[in-house]
Amino acid sequence: MGPGAMSVALDADARQAAAAKLAEEQALVRKAQAGDRLAFDDLVRRYDRDVLRLALNLVHRPEDARDIYQESFLKAYRNLPRFRFECSFYTWLYRIVTNVALDHLRRRTSRHEDQAPVYAEDDGGTHDFFDRQPQTSAAANPEKRLLGQQLGRHIAEAMKRLSPRERIVFEMKHHHGLRLRAIGDLLGTSEDTVKNSLFRATRKLRESLDAFR
Amino acid sequence: MPQNFDSNMSPDTHNEDNISQPCSEWQPLRMLLAAGEELNPAEQARIAGHVAHCAACSAALGRDNALLALLAEHHSEPDATLLASCRASLEDALDRQEERGWLRRTFAVLLPSSWISPRPAWSGAVLLLIGFSVGMLAPRLLLYRPATPAVSGNAAAPAVSAGNGSPSMAAGAQSNSASSAPAALDLHTADVAGINVFPSGDQGPPRVELRLRAQQPITVQGTIDDDDVKSVLLNVLRESDRFCPDPDVRLDAVSLLRARHNDPDVRAVLCQAVHSDRNAAVRRKALEALDGADPQDLVRDTLLDALAADEDPGVRIEAVRLLREMAARGQMASDDRVLALLRDRMQKDPSPAVRLQTAAALRALAPPPDAP
Repeated sequence: MGPGAMSVALDADARQAAAAKLAEEQALVRKAQAGDRLAFDDLVRRYDRDVLRLALNLVHRPEDARDIYQESFLKAYRNLPRFRFECSFYTWLYRIVTNVALDHLRRRTSRHEDQAPVYAEDDGGTHDFFDRQPQTSAAANPEKRLLGQQLGRHIAEAMKRLSPRERIVFEMKHHHGLRLRAIGDLLGTSEDTVKNSLFRATRKLRESLDAFR
Repeated sequence: MPQNFDSNMSPDTHNEDNISQPCSEWQPLRMLLAAGEELNPAEQARIAGHVAHCAACSAALGRDNALLALLAEHHSEPDATLLASCRASLEDALDRQEERGWLRRTFAVLLPSSWISPRPAWSGAVLLLIGFSVGMLAPRLLLYRPATPAVSGNAAAPAVSAGNGSPSMAAGAQSNSASSAPAALDLHTADVAGINVFPSGDQGPPRVELRLRAQQPITVQGTIDDDDVKSVLLNVLRESDRFCPDPDVRLDAVSLLRARHNDPDVRAVLCQAVHSDRNAAVRRKALEALDGADPQDLVRDTLLDALAADEDPGVRIEAVRLLREMAARGQMASDDRVLALLRDRMQKDPSPAVRLQTAAALRALAPPPDAP
């Protein structure tokens, strides 16, 4: 068997595995639609880490991220009987999450209360969420750790300069690996509009973080 | 050809640390190349070919990749504590949601809107059935009175039945059914539809069947001696305008009451009929029914009133005839009032027949001029 034949065989296996996974997920969704709470819990466990990561990197505050997480899954639970399998459950769920997150970001923008995510620490200083994230590479070196904390704050500030849509597009493209067409589907907009949003987001971040490259 | 997503976008204006600026027209493709998996093979080959020969774009692409790597390095991953906390909160929220959903479904079943609005045809049919049932049953329930037990051995007890029973059926029921109290007859809301008289085969009084129209038709059966029968017949004459507009029925009532003309109630009603019934035949029949009734003074006064005031000559003639008969039987004294009225009618009555009859009556009643 040559390399080409092996590649085709692997592709076929991957397709079969994906089809089996999709069928299993659809069965779970149907059970959940019939009122099986355990099935819905299973669906939550499959995607809730991604949902929370998206929320966290969009709003940078654990409390807000928890709100988005909870509101998204509650909406999914309430609207699950209306899910018609016209797209994957993942796409349908992410559509809910992006809508909830966009609403949340817009509300925050209109309130003009930002959000500097501060936490009281034992040393009396104020540190944002990024300060609390594990920086394993710099953990052994206090100087690098401090530099990492400063960089984290700058990244958070840079992200705040993005519009809600730009932030979501950038996050979904670069950290969730979604194609631009899929992002457009989720946001209910065209691929070109998503490209423009990504272009603007990249340029703003480049400008803001130029000194750290 | 490089893509241009937004005509308003300016090329890179920030301070590049290269000797030359990157090519702005290649910037969109460069960005998509950095984003990965967004260019088709042709576009990918084009931008790769350009970057391979353009130092500025190659450096810019390197910076873009460095930026993305930097952001990826500092990308936040939710820690286990936060994820566990979110899951616990969601569990609680879902429990509350399920509880509210159960209550809402339970109460929704009890609300009329849940079973009326989704099934309008069935709901309409049920409402129609309820309305029809209430319309049919309510009058029966409202008119229902508990029947009093029949008096044993009282073969003449009247029968009062509701419904459209035939005479034979009603008569058959009479001997077996319970009698009703007179109070049970609500004559204020009824009128008489007809009277049937069935002769008795054993010389006894005829049987009478009175059919009353009401919300629920009523049939009263018995003889003229029964109080219910008498009560209905008296009402026929007493409230003729409302209770019995049919003169034939009133004539039948007068004929039947004649057998009891000495009963004070019957006599009063007959006198009333003579004075006020709008039908002349009924007035005349009532005069005949009073023939022989006691006290004679009352009867005589009624006859005189009819002679003096009734507009119908037939009634006046009947009054004169009865006066003569009563006088002939010695039941009435021919006093001055009688004679004066007879003379007046003989001279002034517009009807020649009345004048002739009163002249004859005067000859019979007035004492001869040569009497001692």
